[in-house]
Amino acid sequence: MTTWAIVADLNRCVGCQTCTSACKHANATAPGVQWRKVLDFETGEFPTVNRAFLPVGCMHCDEPSCLDACPSTATRKREDGIVTIDYDLCIGCAYCAVSCPYQARFRVDKPTAAYGGMPMRHEAKREDPARLGVAQKCTLCVERIDEGLANGLVPGVDMQATPACVASCISGALQMGDLDDPNSNVSTLLRTKRHFRMHEELGNGPNIYYLYDGEIDEVSTPNAVPMVAEPVGLAAVSPKRQTNWDWRAAANFICGGTGTGLLATTMAAGLFAPVLWPAVLVALAIVASGLFCIWLEIGRPWRFLNVFLNARFSWMTREAMAAVPFFGFGGLSWLLGSPVLGVLGALSGLVFLYCQGRILRAAKGIPAWRRPAIVPLILFTGLAEGAGVLAVLAFATGWSAAIGTSLAAVLLVLVGLRFVMWQRYRADLDRTGAPTGTFQAFDAMQAGLSAVPQGVVAGLVLLATLVPTGQGLLLALAGLGAAVTGWLFKHTLITKAAFTQGYAINRMPARGAGKSSPGVQPGWRKA
Amino acid sequence: MGTSSKPVSKSVSSYCYQCVAGPDLMKVDVIDGVPVQIRPNGSAAAVHPAHGKVCVKAFGLIQKTNNPNRIQTPMIRSNPRKGRDQDPGFRPATWDEALDLICGKLIDTRNKGLTDESGFPRVAASFGGGGTSTVYMGTFPAFLKAWGPIDMSFGSGQGVKCYHSEHLYGEFWHRAFTVSPDTPMVELIISFGANVEASGGVCGVRRHADARDRGVKRIQVEPHLSITGACSAEWVPIRPKTDPAFMFAMLHVLLHEVERDRLDVPFLKARSASPYLVAPNGFYMRDPATRKPLVWDLKSGQAVPFDTEGTDPALDGEFVVSGVEVGPDDKTWQHEAVSCRTGFGRLVDHIAPYSPEWASGICDVPAGMIRKTALEFLEHAHVGETIEIDGCTMPFRPVAISLGKTVSNGWGGYECAWARTLMAVLIGGLEVPGGTLGTTVRLNRPADNRWSSVVPGPDGFMNYPMNPTRKGEFNETSGSRHAHTTLIPLAANSPWSQALGPTHLAWMAQKQGFAHLPDPTPPDVWFVYRTNPVISFWDTKAVGEAIAKFPFTVCFAYTMDETNHMADVLLPECTDLEGLQLIRIGGSKYVEQFWEHQGFALRDPASNPMGEARDFTWIATQLAKRVGLLEEYNTAINKGAAGVRLFGANYDFSLEPEAEHSVEEIWDSACRAASAELTDGAESQGLEYYRQHGFRTVPFPKRRWYLYPAMAEKGLRFELPYQERLLRIGQELGARLHEMGITWWDRQLREYEALPHFQDLQSLWEKAIEAQYDVKIGDYPFWLLSARSMQYSWGGNAGIQMIHEVAANVAGHGGVVMNPQAAARLGLSEGDRVEVCSPVGRTDGAVILRNGIRPDTLLMIGQFDHWKTPFAKDLKTPSMNGLVPMSLELTDATGSGADLVRVAVRKATGDAARAGK
Repeated sequence: MTTWAIVADLNRCVGCQTCTSACKHANATAPGVQWRKVLDFETGEFPTVNRAFLPVGCMHCDEPSCLDACPSTATRKREDGIVTIDYDLCIGCAYCAVSCPYQARFRVDKPTAAYGGMPMRHEAKREDPARLGVAQKCTLCVERIDEGLANGLVPGVDMQATPACVASCISGALQMGDLDDPNSNVSTLLRTKRHFRMHEELGNGPNIYYLYDGEIDEVSTPNAVPMVAEPVGLAAVSPKRQTNWDWRAAANFICGGTGTGLLATTMAAGLFAPVLWPAVLVALAIVASGLFCIWLEIGRPWRFLNVFLNARFSWMTREAMAAVPFFGFGGLSWLLGSPVLGVLGALSGLVFLYCQGRILRAAKGIPAWRRPAIVPLILFTGLAEGAGVLAVLAFATGWSAAIGTSLAAVLLVLVGLRFVMWQRYRADLDRTGAPTGTFQAFDAMQAGLSAVPQGVVAGLVLLATLVPTGQGLLLALAGLGAAVTGWLFKHTLITKAAFTQGYAINRMPARGAGKSSPGVQPGWRKA
Repeated sequence: MGTSSKPVSKSVSSYCYQCVAGPDLMKVDVIDGVPVQIRPNGSAAAVHPAHGKVCVKAFGLIQKTNNPNRIQTPMIRSNPRKGRDQDPGFRPATWDEALDLICGKLIDTRNKGLTDESGFPRVAASFGGGGTSTVYMGTFPAFLKAWGPIDMSFGSGQGVKCYHSEHLYGEFWHRAFTVSPDTPMVELIISFGANVEASGGVCGVRRHADARDRGVKRIQVEPHLSITGACSAEWVPIRPKTDPAFMFAMLHVLLHEVERDRLDVPFLKARSASPYLVAPNGFYMRDPATRKPLVWDLKSGQAVPFDTEGTDPALDGEFVVSGVEVGPDDKTWQHEAVSCRTGFGRLVDHIAPYSPEWASGICDVPAGMIRKTALEFLEHAHVGETIEIDGCTMPFRPVAISLGKTVSNGWGGYECAWARTLMAVLIGGLEVPGGTLGTTVRLNRPADNRWSSVVPGPDGFMNYPMNPTRKGEFNETSGSRHAHTTLIPLAANSPWSQALGPTHLAWMAQKQGFAHLPDPTPPDVWFVYRTNPVISFWDTKAVGEAIAKFPFTVCFAYTMDETNHMADVLLPECTDLEGLQLIRIGGSKYVEQFWEHQGFALRDPASNPMGEARDFTWIATQLAKRVGLLEEYNTAINKGAAGVRLFGANYDFSLEPEAEHSVEEIWDSACRAASAELTDGAESQGLEYYRQHGFRTVPFPKRRWYLYPAMAEKGLRFELPYQERLLRIGQELGARLHEMGITWWDRQLREYEALPHFQDLQSLWEKAIEAQYDVKIGDYPFWLLSARSMQYSWGGNAGIQMIHEVAANVAGHGGVVMNPQAAARLGLSEGDRVEVCSPVGRTDGAVILRNGIRPDTLLMIGQFDHWKTPFAKDLKTPSMNGLVPMSLELTDATGSGADLVRVAVRKATGDAARAGK
């Protein structure tokens, strides 16, 4: 077996960006796209300061979170460990990008020229339309490896068979070789030098190893990386608000939750009163709107059917699959007036909603999403939003008279459970830590899931039970509040609070005869 | 798509010599005639010190070549008025039209005489890139040679952006135009602001990475945590421009705090001037018969000439001696039984006041740190050990001290260069394995052979081609507008000397003139190539105003820029990937280029020229032909003006002098001569061979990295510690200048000390600025520094998008680097736009907070402030160049200044604030 890996000797690296440039040349990446780059870290306060450079890129992980995320099976992992992307399969959903905790994936939608306007002649020569609108990342220069092997060369030893970044590295900091060969260059280095892997606690098994100190005299596991909430001069390496999923993705989570919640609560309410059939249609329309929004966001919209190709691993595929019975049963139930079909549709909707929660849970690249507590939170906020919209529809259609008190009870319970899930989620974040920007975004959320707005909603519900004459209106207002606060929360969650993992350096390297020192995880804090 | 659309790939051999740390070898991948990718040259891995790699700058060459902003046709100015505010009104022209215009002007100029009424050459030329332009300008040097006198005094950064004192004193003391540790063997490097990881090229980076890997210790002494500081074991954040105090204190420890026998006493006695006896007036006591300096022989108990066989000269002590003392202009004193100390003894006394405790307050570095550094230097010196290299046994002294820009230029440069070289001498570590080495020579001759320049001179030292200062030999006029042979004896008068003179004086003279020097005429014709002094010099506003007054400027132009905005004619020449040229590689070159091979490399065109761009050799040939200098031009090429002499003892590939030769004919002859030179005439492969192989080398003996064997073989001594010769020429120079009526150089004359005294450089800067601009220095509370960047330095890459993109990954680019404590005091946050002002000018940029900088210091990386260069003008990047005064007061005796100025910072308002949005 072969497992290709890169070893970066931080004692050698000078941050010159020759590898960055060589990668751009070898792969003709667009302006601003850097499959390989070198980060610049600083720790300490004047006058005790250390500075180090950290090459990053796709880690070709043992357990790549992008691989499981990918709904189209465009992302694959070869036997030799290289994670590849099939540009012809990829739908450009960018789920892999938000699932990668190393910020290694990019999507370029339009041809871009370094100087704007027309491409330069070398840019024109190397334009690859297949790479537009799809995910792209470091390939480990797989063509060079394969061609080299076919010609009897040894990747990592022979320059022609070695990834461009490694081949070009002027300080000899970057080495590439076979981890499974105990005598390879990389195995020898890892056996003899102290090293770490970035974000190892996330379990991806990244295959870039960083050497930070001299010979191993004992099994050395670096301590937890110190978090620095507001680092000085490290903006470039701190978590950044993700830009892959914008309001359109947020709309899918908003609509998906609200629509499926609406159908579920509508059918549940059908236990106490005649089914409000218009609500079923509204529920379907809402979910459809969300999916339309996400369809607008993906890079290759006409390949959308490829979303069904990875049922085995991808929660996005499963979400799409759950949508089929949701719309099927839901639509038929409305056409036929069949509560049984409606319940089946509602159950499918709950699966859909659960998948949405799991989509976020599996998005390892976004610390605000990947917490286990996100799943029940997404479930209950969807249900609460659905119940809220049902209250509005009930008032609009005069149906609230028949269902008022039961609906109030359901709404109250759901809003309460949502609040509890929100508190659990926040406690989870506080305990494990998250990007400072995530906390700031949630703290700045004026009308989200915090106690005051949810108290107002609950108060309105309680008031509705006490004031029978205005019950429908008060419930509608409460429902609107429940829905809108949920939407605002989700918009915040998907856009404003969705900071990337950022980068960390576990240990600052020993330089020559110097000593290594604690590293830093900039832009992170615990409560 | 047409039928010929199938890509035809090929790989072309070339080199990158965009910075002074080259050349390095590379391959260019070409598809359908379009260069698309740069790669290292794997086939050079065995001969190139950095394994055939090239740095990030080389990768910018694809965009550089295909840049849509390139000037692609000759252009002629239509607006006779020049200035930043003037539209030059360039119109496209044919090559015939442009060349006719230039050659007409040259012929008119030649008819008036090669020099003007002030005695200055009527034709001037300025080239950038630290001298690397010649490897891109084909046979243009042959045209200049054919023309006759050329004024190269208009600088574009040298003197303030280089290691000026190191260049001059380095060549004087150990043939070291630049100085390097013997990195592959060194154990400890003390680096005062040297930034080898940013500006040492791929060879420097690789050698130091290998050194770190084997555990070398480097201590970086610098006000900010540079790339090199980052890669060092320790960072000592010294107060700006106080390095001499640190080094003097190290000398104090070595001379006053450790046992004398821990120094390399045999080396000091045999290979330095330490034992020479100094007479009462400060000059050596000499033997009356031979006029040789005397030493005190401990064996015989008497003074004997320094080169007497079988003696044991006293290193220290005071002895009663009779003899003759020779001062300036052969002034002679006869002494009978006077007390004389050795030069070493004088040094010991001289250094006594400079203790680490004394230095601590000046440098803002604890005395213990300075003392520890000095002791580590000694501990790692391995005094007494030897090593054999190529069969030659030499001292092994694996410690070295490096100096950076601003440390080794301007006032204080002499002190630092002297102290550094002296410390190497004290432990016997100068020019020996592991120690402090020179790299190449530019002022001494021959330029391509450091060993051959070791020629015996006076008093047991190497000869040095000093500009004469003795009465009757002195040059009252220099043939250059900065008077380098008049003012700077150490600048010598080699082809490089003008560029190493006080180049800012040429600009200053254009504005104000200097009393008792010839009238500062502008050149009739000024050629400019690969340089942009309107943004790259100091006091850039003044430089721009002077250039606007030049009557006829010809720029070999890549894109529009701030200097060629003032030009009369723009000529688009082939860029790096389009032109054809053969250059020398190997041996030991600048910075850290120590090869074990030497030979030649070809720059084979990877692309046809864009538009109407032309190969520089073609342009030079056309100029020569049209001016009527073809024979002289071809003769100059034959004699080696294009890098290789075309004939030798047993070969002759000379060009027919009277014929016009094509570019390929010329370089084919050069290739044949190169092959013959490398094989002693046995082989003569031409251009085709080099196109196939890219380069050709023969072994270069490693022992020639070190000057020690050549010095020992010739029985020569390093001219340290005592600077008797400098003392003498300083006094002679003063006399000559005063005879001319020149007193404005008196401050500089004070540098000619036999043993340099410490001077408070911070105070010197502060007072000079206060006096010159009538300001209170307290209003300018920060020291502003600059630093090199591997991505930008020398390459002319400010307009290259990819370089800008990747440079942004390295903190500090594009803004004003500031300590967070200092920023907090001013209410400034990361990203705030600020205006940075000196009494000379202002610039603005975004705050970049970093803990790795002193709170009293600001840093601006690289050189920007472009207002014309496409792409670069939109970067909104600050530059210190417009803030640094061109000042006689701040010019040292070598004619250099320093990238240093006091500034104020305030939050930007108005246009400056809006610029960041």
